[in-house]
Amino acid sequence: MEKYDVAIIGGGSAGLAALKQLSTLGKQAVLLEAGKKVGVKNISGGILYSKKPNKGRVYNVEDIYGQNFVNEAPLQRKITKYLLHATSKDKVFSMDLTAAHEYQSNFGYSVLMNELNAWFAQSADESAQKCGGGIVPGVHVNNISWDDEKERTIIQTDELDEFQVKAVIAADGVNSEVAQITRARPKFSAVQLYQGVKAIVKLPEDIINETFAIGADDGEAHLFAGDITLNHLGGGFLYTNRDTLSVGAVYHFDSLLDSPIEPNTLLDALLKNPMITELIKDEVPVRGKIDKTLEKEKQMQIRFAVTKLIKTWYEIRDVYLSSSRRKELIKTGKFNSEDEIKSKLSETREKMSSQYGIQFKTDYVEDEYGAKLIPDGKRCRMKKPYHKNVLFVGDAAGRGVFVGPRIEGLNVGIDDGVRAANAIARALEKNNFSQGYLGEYYTKSIEESPYTKDMKEIDKEYLKIFIDATKDVPKDILSAKHSLVLKLMSSGAIRSMAAKFVNVLGYERLLPVIESQESYVKVPTELAERSGKTISSSYTPSIPLLADRIAKLNYNDDKVSHIKVLNPNNDFMKKLVMLCPTKCYSEENGQVTIQHEGCIECGTCSEQTDWKHPRGEKGINYRYG
Amino acid sequence: MEPLNLAVIVKLEPDFSEGNVSYKPDGTLNRNETKSTLGPHSGIAAKAAFYAKVRYGAKISVCSMGPPWADIALQQAQQTCDADVLHLYSDRIFAGADTLATAETLKTGIEKMEGKMDIVFSGHRASDGETGQTGPQTAWKLGFTFIGNVISYDVNLEKRTVVAKCLLTLNGVPNVIEEIEAPLPVFLTIDPSYKSNFTTVSQRIAFEKYQKEAYERARNFKQSLKVFNIDELGVDKTLVGLAGSPTIVYQVERIPKGKATRQAEVFDGSNSEHIRKVVAKMREALSAMVIK
Repeated sequence: MEKYDVAIIGGGSAGLAALKQLSTLGKQAVLLEAGKKVGVKNISGGILYSKKPNKGRVYNVEDIYGQNFVNEAPLQRKITKYLLHATSKDKVFSMDLTAAHEYQSNFGYSVLMNELNAWFAQSADESAQKCGGGIVPGVHVNNISWDDEKERTIIQTDELDEFQVKAVIAADGVNSEVAQITRARPKFSAVQLYQGVKAIVKLPEDIINETFAIGADDGEAHLFAGDITLNHLGGGFLYTNRDTLSVGAVYHFDSLLDSPIEPNTLLDALLKNPMITELIKDEVPVRGKIDKTLEKEKQMQIRFAVTKLIKTWYEIRDVYLSSSRRKELIKTGKFNSEDEIKSKLSETREKMSSQYGIQFKTDYVEDEYGAKLIPDGKRCRMKKPYHKNVLFVGDAAGRGVFVGPRIEGLNVGIDDGVRAANAIARALEKNNFSQGYLGEYYTKSIEESPYTKDMKEIDKEYLKIFIDATKDVPKDILSAKHSLVLKLMSSGAIRSMAAKFVNVLGYERLLPVIESQESYVKVPTELAERSGKTISSSYTPSIPLLADRIAKLNYNDDKVSHIKVLNPNNDFMKKLVMLCPTKCYSEENGQVTIQHEGCIECGTCSEQTDWKHPRGEKGINYRYG
Repeated sequence: MEPLNLAVIVKLEPDFSEGNVSYKPDGTLNRNETKSTLGPHSGIAAKAAFYAKVRYGAKISVCSMGPPWADIALQQAQQTCDADVLHLYSDRIFAGADTLATAETLKTGIEKMEGKMDIVFSGHRASDGETGQTGPQTAWKLGFTFIGNVISYDVNLEKRTVVAKCLLTLNGVPNVIEEIEAPLPVFLTIDPSYKSNFTTVSQRIAFEKYQKEAYERARNFKQSLKVFNIDELGVDKTLVGLAGSPTIVYQVERIPKGKATRQAEVFDGSNSEHIRKVVAKMREALSAMVIK
């Protein structure tokens, strides 16, 4: 049996950070990733932060991947403006939360996980190979067993011969199978989770710059609450990427279970909001009708020619409307000048309309639909994130900071990854992998992390910034309870005392007051109605049907379902017919059945099913993530 | 232990994939309009050689006889097997060669390569000529033990032998897998159903490492490429090209098209009456499938 020092299960940003850190410390580690390539299974909102807490330290991406990280990594845009919008029909009231976003931050960049994780992987793999380790994609771990007599930990997979390790890092995400195998924690329950759905909207770089009135490298983050929630607890977001937008809806999963609604409907509600419709607006070609009296073969030829022409038009347009790509293609000699690209574009456009009757209309283009469960660190972080010699990091350990508009998961997982790596490196040196020496040490390190503090307590400084940002909100909108809290918190001395009091009382007890119908729906809606600006939409977006969204996704089908329904007639399963983001469940004669083919592995159904990740290389392959 | 020294012989062939192939109105191949690529069977041979790279860290040389633009076949093969060396034998005199003359050129090339070869790989056949003789003839000229239809193999580095599994297909008899152990050097032709199996973590790590290296090497493939003309190769002019080819093709007959046995009906998707008919037909077919 082969022997390695460390196995890392899962190639998300936390697992990769652990691999990079262990390798930097000269330790041998292998990372097993179920996807065909690292990154294809990952999806996030997403913004990647680098933080500088006033007290204590966190491990940031640049600490792990080098100080030149920002220049080398495939980041999208630096978020320079952060806004919260309250919506009601065509009215929007906006608050600037940039100060809250910049609080104790070095930077926040919008990112797309597929390419970012691939970049992390390349860097981590190079370092790992020098220590006799590396990344092995396309491998699904199905069991870990311990032979206490021989002091062996054995990793079993669907694809490879079993092998032996000294320690394990479980970085297999919110639906961690390692957590189930080791029984380190129960599955997360609805009250501990958010469900997020996201659409990637295509929009050329220059149009993004123009629409948002931002520089080529700047980006914006927009959050939404109010009537777009359709009375559920949660909200929407829109982040600018380089030449795409991430538009998504994130909701408390228990709120969705209380009154089930299709996740794509929540996403659509967001896309239909006039402010967002205007932000995603683009010019879209519409195919002309093909003369049916023509010969079948001729009709086919026209159809192919139109497809090819539209593709060419998009390609040239994407180049023309991107300053960096324009320069790049002129430099490589593909085009001689900007004018040449411009004339090529208008030539193609002319051909499209004159020869094939293609028209152009105002609309938007969606490129990818995705979904993910998000563990709410406040409610579900593992108090002891280990079992024997297995350490849990990131989503697998239920860690993330979600406090009001503060939404951080990636940086938390990365910090965990480094801490787990450091703990294991220390254990390797003493060859001591006991719970006392390894697990407890790691727990202590995690507890010291400023992120953990943010999951446990209200930060009164952050609270002040948030309250300052809401100064324009008319106070009489709030209920007596809320306005009293706000009044108390607005004064410096009392705020300190009140925050202390709350933290003594227990943060968790306050959560139902903060995360309520009042804060997500009622107050923002009323606020928008009373003080919002009216925004009118210049067109009606053609929002794709769910079936079309699924049809655009790329799967490597597995004949065998990775999910098994345990109880086909219980209440939870019946609600999944509505709540599964890709409608994998259907009900007939009171029995719920699954068709796993469209599954995007979000885990919405995992709590009450026998839920495994698909075998190596199988399942969803995100292009953006 | 001596490291393994391998060679792969590959061929540039027309790309028969959709969108790249073009036919003349009479149904014959329009070679001018058709792109060229690494032959699919050559690709499988390269894949088999890559197995030895991953398992034994073998040194791999890929060679081909063809026009100057056949270097793209070598590049594609390099991307598959992480070849260390690429040889292209290119000269007008080589033109018009049949399989025997090609074998002579390749044999001379292989013998000229650095070090003694342990295993030479070739594809099962060419996809354009449907010939499968070049491999066996090269083996015969080299004097190597020949093993055909290989579906998997392993090398015993201590004993310096190869153990190969070969697929035997005989009419009317179930397929047989034959296992052959032979001392090196050997010549293997690789069956289309060949599969490399990497079952341990270390093999998979090596696989990823060499694959990355292959990608880098193929990007700069000219650095590993050496082109030989007839003089540089030093081969007997009477044994290569048209002069060295005993085969005479005096006529090519078109393969008659088989008659379609399937009966198709055409329905128009935009016509609701047609859709109704389709649904009725599907219902009929489904009800026939239900086991009562």
